[in-house]
Amino acid sequence: MTKLTRWLLLPGLILVAGCATTTPADITGAGTQLAIREIQTREYDTLDKQMTMRSVIATLQDLGFNIDQAHLELGTVTATRLHEYTMRMTVTTVEKDNGRIAVRANARIGENPVQDPATYQDFFVVLDKAMFLTLNKVD
Amino acid sequence: MPVRCSGLWLPLLVAGIFSGCAATIPDDALRLPASTLDIRSIQTRTFAASSENEILAATIATLQDMEYNIDRIEKPLGVITASKVSDADSTGETTALIILDVLCVISSGGPCDASSSAKDKQHIMLTMVVLPSLAREHEYVTRITIQRVIFDKAERIKVLERIDDAEIYQQIFDNLSKAIFIQVSDND
Repeated sequence: MTKLTRWLLLPGLILVAGCATTTPADITGAGTQLAIREIQTREYDTLDKQMTMRSVIATLQDLGFNIDQAHLELGTVTATRLHEYTMRMTVTTVEKDNGRIAVRANARIGENPVQDPATYQDFFVVLDKAMFLTLNKVD
Repeated sequence: MPVRCSGLWLPLLVAGIFSGCAATIPDDALRLPASTLDIRSIQTRTFAASSENEILAATIATLQDMEYNIDRIEKPLGVITASKVSDADSTGETTALIILDVLCVISSGGPCDASSSAKDKQHIMLTMVVLPSLAREHEYVTRITIQRVIFDKAERIKVLERIDDAEIYQQIFDNLSKAIFIQVSDND
């Protein structure tokens, strides 16, 4: 093997090795539980659970998602967007003891989890508007 | 010949590792597009009905009329999801690709398989959300969203898309309007 071949082979191997995602890590996720929860969650005290979920559904539809399934009792909405790339979201709505409603969203684009706080902030900006419209009885 | 790349390889390696593994999350993934209001108006209509059950029954009947299977219903949230797999074959496209294969074989003699990329079947996912109007009694706001995946003859995904064609939505709403009328007539 010539020196040139070695120099070319080494970056290639490291590139491939650097991209390899090990299966055990993927199964349990890669992030810190509390940190991820914090960026994915907002609390509201404006609407009840059902009306909050109605706003969540409207938000997802406005963002171009198709609702795959929704369950009022468990507070979950799962949706998929097939547009340029595949994005999947699950939004959970939970009534807390203090009467507030916690909304948690998590998203994946293709095989990548979305961990960028700004992307979740964008989602909650749209949800805030939908909650405002629902609160003011605007269809 | 001596290879002198000591100053080059390290930055290349680092750039390769980071660019190769960067998750491609678009900045605007969850921002409202400018077309939101237009799309929402295409996808939404309000219907008068005497009860939620009446309009939900008409909605389900409409989906069945259009040969969809109902996948899930969550009545308290008004969500009905349905889907179907249907033919997406286009005779024109298939013919053109077969001709291309023939020309390819004649000119190169090699294996030519353009025709396997012709559209074959499509998986259509449709969701209808039917909810009582917040503003008016006995009116129900209905919003439809449709997406589809088109596969080629080799079962590879060829197209992933959201349906934005206003005529398609209008046709479904026309069907729903008729179904509500039939539902009311049946109940009388």
